[in-house]
Amino acid sequence: MPEILIYIEHDGDGITDLSLQCLARGRSLAEEKGWKTGCALLGAETGELARELFDRGADSVHAAEDVRLDPYLPQPQSAVLGGLVRDLAPRIFLFPSSTVGNDLAPRLAARCGCPAVLDCVGFTFEGDAPVLRRLEFDAKALTSYSPLGGGTVIASMRDGIAEAAPAGGGGAGQAERVVVELAENDLRSAVERREVVRKTVNLKDARVIVGGGAGVGTADNFKLLEDLAAGLGGEIGATRATVDAGWVSAERQIGQTGVTVRPDLYIACGISGAVQHCVGIRDAKTIVAVNTDPSAPIFRMAHYRIVGDLTEVVPRLIGLLG
Amino acid sequence: MPFHCVVVAREVWDTRDLLAGVVGEGGLNESALSRRFEPEDLNSLEQALQLKDAHGGKVTVLSVGPPREVDVLRECLYRGVDEVIRILPPEGLAPDTAAQAELLAAALRRIGEYDLVLAGVSQPEGENSLLGAHLASLLELDQVTYVDAIEEIGDPAAGALCKREVEMGSEYVRVPLPAVLVMGVYLLKDDPRTPRSAKAMLKLKMKKAPIAEWSCEELGIGDPADLRRIEVSGYAPVAQKEVDTVDVDPEDEDALRNMLRDIQ
Repeated sequence: MPEILIYIEHDGDGITDLSLQCLARGRSLAEEKGWKTGCALLGAETGELARELFDRGADSVHAAEDVRLDPYLPQPQSAVLGGLVRDLAPRIFLFPSSTVGNDLAPRLAARCGCPAVLDCVGFTFEGDAPVLRRLEFDAKALTSYSPLGGGTVIASMRDGIAEAAPAGGGGAGQAERVVVELAENDLRSAVERREVVRKTVNLKDARVIVGGGAGVGTADNFKLLEDLAAGLGGEIGATRATVDAGWVSAERQIGQTGVTVRPDLYIACGISGAVQHCVGIRDAKTIVAVNTDPSAPIFRMAHYRIVGDLTEVVPRLIGLLG
Repeated sequence: MPFHCVVVAREVWDTRDLLAGVVGEGGLNESALSRRFEPEDLNSLEQALQLKDAHGGKVTVLSVGPPREVDVLRECLYRGVDEVIRILPPEGLAPDTAAQAELLAAALRRIGEYDLVLAGVSQPEGENSLLGAHLASLLELDQVTYVDAIEEIGDPAAGALCKREVEMGSEYVRVPLPAVLVMGVYLLKDDPRTPRSAKAMLKLKMKKAPIAEWSCEELGIGDPADLRRIEVSGYAPVAQKEVDTVDVDPEDEDALRNMLRDIQ
């Protein structure tokens, strides 16, 4: 029986990178204790993904294959996982910090009476009990949480804490079938449609990113940012608000519900510096910020501070690039 | 159809523009911190009030614990809610999302009939998990989290269609009522979903209005400390990156040119 269980999130493009990071971190924790790492894999078709998980180092895969588990909804999935927690009684059940993991983990925790800590950035042990750490107070304090009592501890892990578990380990095995028993109440909700874009840009590896926030004002102004990015050989990034406004595609979103980036240069245009966005750009080597508001929090993390209107500053920069 | 919406409101640490020194030798340096109405909860409140404006019905607000700097329940009365209830755990009960959710679930069972429970998506300091999802699970209701907007609501048989923000876009989830919606609204400039301000008339009227208080005993909870699953075992300060900021005059072409040379 695995002492550490990882929830594997997957979409049309396969297993998410963050789930593979969780697998890698889970494996390193298990090695520390001489434990095993298992994967919980739910969906309509799991065979190919299970093979991949063995190859990436999973000791066991617990596969619940049922069309009613796809697309993702928290009610049926937490019902299946509740059974898994009861049967396997893992010490730690680790979820990716995503809109799936952070939706499912707390529902499961309340269902099973387990402790839960979301958005963890660090894991250690005190004896066999895990200590879970998360960043709080605008990332100025690292808070440690310790479970009261034994049993399974449920946690979600933030992006960027570990490298994804690599393929090619050569591991193989037979997935263990999880019996799917769902009540009528588990199936009352439905996903009517999804408007999800396929990923065509790789912001994670971009060297230069020009980011736009609500201060950009219009979709047309975003074109200015595109020109600047093109001049610098970089990519466009965005905050959630601008994606919601439809000015830019969702695949370009940086921050808590987007990607975490590590460019050499980040040019923040019309971005105030809300913590949800800043967690995604914290590791940029150089930050240039352009904002009309001299007291915008983004300036506190910026190496270059330009107080001005981006519709004037950006064309000037493009002109100087020649 | 008129709706009865129940909103969860929290008074939380204000973490905007915090400077270093939040963590001292003895733990949190509380005197360096102030508190505010959790902004995502205010967005949820606005959603509930707009549903009432459009369809009629009633808005009830629940909050756990006595007020410290900001009385969120009175702030709700100033914005036009119909009923506020303060749940009072025993003094000194350290926060844990699991325990808070149990208290709120007990209060909702006591309220009995409602159509929607709205909570903010943020996990403020001192909360370790997503309150709304715990609440939905305890009440055995369906949940939608990261809800940006309610797209359709009105016909009780059809439930509610919610636009949920996910990593690479949005999905539209239909839930039966009652349901728990965990709101994560990203407001734009002049957004019609911007929370309304307190009204001067209501401030005068509601300043001394009594606020209902429910004790754990009344909610049938023995010792709420037994409901806790986790505790904070320490705070450590996080070293902040020192940034030497260079001011660049946007009118000065030479300064801009020098900057471009240095950053490329």
